[in-house]
Amino acid sequence: MHHLRWLLVPLLVIPLGWLLLTGFARDPREVASPLVGQQAPAWTYETLDGDTLSTDELAGRPYVVNFWASWCIPACVDEHPVLSSAYQRGGDELMIVGVLYQDTPADAESFLARYGDAGYPHLIDATGRLAIDFGVTGPPETFFVDADGIVQAKQFGPLTDALMADHLARILPSAAR
Amino acid sequence: MKRWLPAIALGGALALLALGAVFVLQPGPDLTDAERADAIGRELRCPDCQGLSVADAPTGSAQEIRRQIDELVAAGATEDEVRAHFVARYGDWILLAPASPVAWIIPFAVVIAGVGALATWLMLRRGSDAVPPERPSPEARRRLHEEVEALDA
Repeated sequence: MHHLRWLLVPLLVIPLGWLLLTGFARDPREVASPLVGQQAPAWTYETLDGDTLSTDELAGRPYVVNFWASWCIPACVDEHPVLSSAYQRGGDELMIVGVLYQDTPADAESFLARYGDAGYPHLIDATGRLAIDFGVTGPPETFFVDADGIVQAKQFGPLTDALMADHLARILPSAAR
Repeated sequence: MKRWLPAIALGGALALLALGAVFVLQPGPDLTDAERADAIGRELRCPDCQGLSVADAPTGSAQEIRRQIDELVAAGATEDEVRAHFVARYGDWILLAPASPVAWIIPFAVVIAGVGALATWLMLRRGSDAVPPERPSPEARRRLHEEVEALDA
């Protein structure tokens, strides 16, 4: 019995060390999305411009869904040029759709007037239903959907050019851009 | 008595486990749709709050989730189906209480293992105390006798 005592130290230290390492290595607010690898939710919403947009119109085309808010500062301000530039470079190959997260159209329009409007549509999710369908916990969160309508990646927190390129490579046929 | 100590400890721990299982698995009383919706809301995490359930939170997301729960319950969805609806969107993170039965069993298993280990340790310790000291060999006794006599001389 006594010769097994030395086993106690690794038996206690290894699991504790593993718990601490895995616990501190990730952001506790980040929620892994069960949507990745699944069909993206279908939707039809009014946009800030007064048009109506639905997933039917995006069929066969890769698209990015970005949940944002005018009050989400600085994260949404920081990633705004990343989205604008990707949209401009993406041309017909890529669609970007903004979704207002618990925000008013007037405040969203002021944000776009101040930080630039690249021209992609922004959905008015007045009840928050679309945010719940995507399992959003707080802006900014961005989902990357391929041409088959499958969610291929989720970005929690602000996008950078490098993160954008990495995620777009999963949904664009011409990839590494 | 000592022989039966581990068996008694194990029996006690199993009884505790059974009691826990009864507590966890007991069927609830008949509830109205509103009460069922409220009970489900208490089990779901508010997505954009800190440590609040959907039933307790004032945010827009919590309100929308409560509205969807009401809608699903009114349409005849079971509590499991309502939970599954939100788990499909947020994963198990949305559940304030763990979904896996393993998480409920672990505390009882730890108690059983602890009681068993304590009982075994106590039994082994008492057992070792009860072993009579070994009698010295005739040779040792003879040498001891000689040494005592030499001291006396």
